[in-house]
Amino acid sequence: MINLALSLLFLPFVSALVILLFLRAKGNLASLVSVFTAAGILILSLLLLFNSQESSLVWNTTWFTMGSWELRFGILLDDPARLLLFIVSFVGLLIHIFSLGYMESDPARPRYFGGLSIFMFSMIGITLADNLIMIFVFWELVGFSSYLLIAHYFQTDEASQASRKAFIVNRVGDFGFLIGIVLTYWTFGTVNLGELADLADFSPSLITTGLCLALACGFIGKSAQFPLHVWLPDAMAGPTPVSALIHAATMVAAGVYLLIRIDFLFTEQALGLIAFLGAAMGLYAGFCALVQRDIKKILAYSTLSQLGYMAAAFGLGAPGLALFHLTTHAFFKALMFLGSGSVIHACHHEQDIFKYGGLRKRMPVTAGTFLIGVLAISGVNFLSGYYSKDAILLWAYNFNLPIFTLLYAGALLTAAYMFRLYFIAFEGEARSEHSQSAKENSLSMTLPLVLLAFLSVLGGYVILYPFNIGSYFAPDLSATALLPHHMWMVVLGTSAWIIGLVVARKLYAQVNQEDPLSQRLPGFFEICQSKLFFDQIYSFYVNKIQDPFCRFMEVMELLFISGLMVRGSAGVTALLAMLAKACYIGRVHVYALWFMLGTLGFIIYSSGIFE
Amino acid sequence: MNLNTILLLGSIIVPAVGSLLFFGGFPKEDSSIKKLSYFVFGFPFIASILLFLNFDPTQEYCFEILYSRMGLQELGITFHLGLNGVSSPLFAMAGIIGFAAGISAIHSGAERLRLYLALLSIMLSGLMGLFASVDLFFYYLFHEFALIPTFIMVGLWGGRDRRGIALEMTIYLTLGALISLSGLVALNVMIDAPKFDFPHLSDALTQVSLSDRSAYNIFGLLLFGFGILVALFPFHTWATRGYDAAPTSVSMLHAGVLKKFGLYGLIQIAVPLLPQAAECWSPWIMWLALGNILIVGFVAMAQTSFKAMISYGSVMHMGYCFLGIGVCSTIGVGSAVMLMCAHGLSVALMFLLASYVRRRTNTFEMEEMGGLAAKTPLLACFCLAATLATIGLPGFGNFWGEFGVFLSLGENKEHFTFLILAALGIIISAVFGLRAMAKIFFGSESQEFQKSTTYSSVSDLCKSEILPATSILVPLFLIGIWPLTISHRIDLEIGQRYAEFQSQSSSFKPSCCPDSEESTEEGNTLLP
Repeated sequence: MINLALSLLFLPFVSALVILLFLRAKGNLASLVSVFTAAGILILSLLLLFNSQESSLVWNTTWFTMGSWELRFGILLDDPARLLLFIVSFVGLLIHIFSLGYMESDPARPRYFGGLSIFMFSMIGITLADNLIMIFVFWELVGFSSYLLIAHYFQTDEASQASRKAFIVNRVGDFGFLIGIVLTYWTFGTVNLGELADLADFSPSLITTGLCLALACGFIGKSAQFPLHVWLPDAMAGPTPVSALIHAATMVAAGVYLLIRIDFLFTEQALGLIAFLGAAMGLYAGFCALVQRDIKKILAYSTLSQLGYMAAAFGLGAPGLALFHLTTHAFFKALMFLGSGSVIHACHHEQDIFKYGGLRKRMPVTAGTFLIGVLAISGVNFLSGYYSKDAILLWAYNFNLPIFTLLYAGALLTAAYMFRLYFIAFEGEARSEHSQSAKENSLSMTLPLVLLAFLSVLGGYVILYPFNIGSYFAPDLSATALLPHHMWMVVLGTSAWIIGLVVARKLYAQVNQEDPLSQRLPGFFEICQSKLFFDQIYSFYVNKIQDPFCRFMEVMELLFISGLMVRGSAGVTALLAMLAKACYIGRVHVYALWFMLGTLGFIIYSSGIFE
Repeated sequence: MNLNTILLLGSIIVPAVGSLLFFGGFPKEDSSIKKLSYFVFGFPFIASILLFLNFDPTQEYCFEILYSRMGLQELGITFHLGLNGVSSPLFAMAGIIGFAAGISAIHSGAERLRLYLALLSIMLSGLMGLFASVDLFFYYLFHEFALIPTFIMVGLWGGRDRRGIALEMTIYLTLGALISLSGLVALNVMIDAPKFDFPHLSDALTQVSLSDRSAYNIFGLLLFGFGILVALFPFHTWATRGYDAAPTSVSMLHAGVLKKFGLYGLIQIAVPLLPQAAECWSPWIMWLALGNILIVGFVAMAQTSFKAMISYGSVMHMGYCFLGIGVCSTIGVGSAVMLMCAHGLSVALMFLLASYVRRRTNTFEMEEMGGLAAKTPLLACFCLAATLATIGLPGFGNFWGEFGVFLSLGENKEHFTFLILAALGIIISAVFGLRAMAKIFFGSESQEFQKSTTYSSVSDLCKSEILPATSILVPLFLIGIWPLTISHRIDLEIGQRYAEFQSQSSSFKPSCCPDSEESTEEGNTLLP
């Protein structure tokens, strides 16, 4: 069993190495290797999921020792890990297959597929890791693969900047995470998740809010939550399948997964803060998404907002609901990102939704599946998003009304901006040459869409999940089912998506190249467009504070250390030398003077005046 | 004399003999000079790796060679070579970097290649000897062997303003070396050890107790002497200017290997022999180390020249080694050794790659490059790997060193401030490392770059360039994914040396110790 898990982990690593070493110039072969690796991962993980009898698989070996610190390389396959493993391997394979079509004519395919393999390796690593340091190792590695894949079109300045921004903003989060890990180690004496859980049960006094908030910094960076959310919309500069896999379905969700893995370390205050930040993010990102023109940016903000829902669910003490929403979100968001990829591919890399229009007739499969995604995320009754999101809403309604209000407003916005996207892009008339000449894509791109659409419809029915996969969220869901105000919530939830649909229909059914909202509510439009100036504040900090400060330090170093200290001491020496040299100017009468002074001194000394 | 000891001795003697041959005008033809130098630089490489693999961590010193009738036995000086758990990985690192630097020198097309190679092989011989020496006299002597050619090479083959910089380096480093030598001699005189080598000194110290005041002063001498040699803030300006001006092979060997001399001295001699004094000086070490990490780090962010940025970056990361030493625990010091190995490899690789970039763009100014990845994907790949290694990405050895240092800082609540400030370094180095990557390889080509390459085509790495880069990158990667290969022997050696020390120092607070409470007070309140 453990060999299965290890080969599952290292298969994509080997694939990435093979591509790097031998297939750098062979695009077709590299993509096949990578896709077959993804298929192998799915097979192995299914074998692993359905063969494991014991409730959790635990194994480890020494990885690093230094003094009293022994780090072990270990695997912990428990309930949440099983679920995430399934999502990663399943969605991963579909996105690999989609990439075959999407990247067909890209000359840099080996780099792309190699990057995907590294990503799969590190993501599976996060899933299976049994201790915080191992999670941190793979955490940084997913950050690296994300960097590599965002920078795929490195010739453009946009990709070059976005990749750097993503990595550095994540590093800021990892800074807190790192400190959290160090504190955890010295507080509990271990970083192993199983041992930590026992210790936290045994002596809850060790748990402090500062500690768990430091660890949560990792989540805030990776899941792009406030105030480190700025990197995710920019990360859309990467190829669209990458956005689907890394920046929607799996990597950004890893932050939530981290929280779930260490949920026993959280105090009430920390949970409250996370819930509030998550709910606020759900609303904030909704407003941002409402005014975007770039199809991928809309989806990116929507991802931020859904991650906010997961964080809120976690913060309200329902990690099972968070993981359930993570699952359904992975399906419908991957579906919509791939759908947008299909559109972008057909429209010659045009990403402005106001330049699409009328795509439903030209790309029926993409449009149909995309619509399913839109319905699912808006929470239309009996689709997957309805179950997962309304469960969170119901939970919030019963336990924390302010957070419920934020989340409910977010749900209204979600429906509004998703239908806006659908109406503008797929309905109406074509508004540019590119969208006029768009054609449906090949099977390798439509097949993943259809499969994901099925899952987006059915993913909400817990009963369909095999026990080995769905065992983590089942208890929380049953608890939610017993909560009061159930019917009231159905009414509220249903009205949310209907209101969103009606508003979107009214505003966006007939558009031209301009956003109708910018004429009707220009003030509101401007505020949403500004995204509350986060990017401006950060770039002000970098350009106007950090860079001048660095230059100032450079000058100070030159002036004081290089100049005053080093050159200064050299100067003092030189000055002494000059003074000494002044005694030897090469004239006889000066030497005679020195001789006389010397003799005089000798006589005075020997005469014994000083004794 | 078995095979291993022959290899150990050979890796010092072969480069030395090689350089004598070069100086003596043999061989005559250029092609045979190259063949001979492949042997001269290749032998220590292979020998050091074999010795690394054959190392037996249970012994105190492996592959010992002892020759006591040097004519200096009256002074307690013997010719004593051997490797222990700390020196064995560093010895291997020296062999690897020496090989890469040698190959790049052979193909560098420098004028007066014979002289260049001759000086470089002396330097290599000194470096190999340095880490193999058990006797302190030879440890110091080999260091001078490696140091003196550096000055000549910077002065002859250096870049802009090479004379001035060579002079500055000479004076500065000689000063540092003399201060540390006076510390070593003072130590020997004060405790009157029968022999001037590591084991005898520590034996003698258990019998003779040094007064607190003199231990404190000797440690100070060693700290600042070695500190100058390792570019401890604020004594680092020779390094940043020097590496910027030095020819590639010299930068590689100096920044990669020779600079570790001082840290090695602190770890093997100063801290284990004078634990109480180390404890007293520890706040000094740590605050100055923060100067390396933060101040030099910020200055690195302001650099526009790629090579200058690497120089500042290399000085910055020395701060982590000092922090690890300042913590005085097995985890801290062991991780510092780990980082020394990884840092040596990654910095040497960066300097090597910078010379490749320069060969293609004819400049080090990052503003005048751009979009190079499209033309030289393999170079971009190597450079990305080296940059990520430098900024401590897991998968490369540097991560374990840095992480271990951070972890060691968490042990004592007084060090909490240092932990937070030092961890800021991971963001700083990411900022300047990735900025350089973006400016050189990503984006569109700058006008200057287009102009400078209109008449010559830019080609990707050739075989003679791939070989040295790979020979450094592979070990860096291997210790990154399986750190146990070197951490085990470091742990055994350091654990043995420092275990006793930890029990002593925790209960003992010498009277000479300057009051260091005010510097660490904040740590207590910050901790939750």
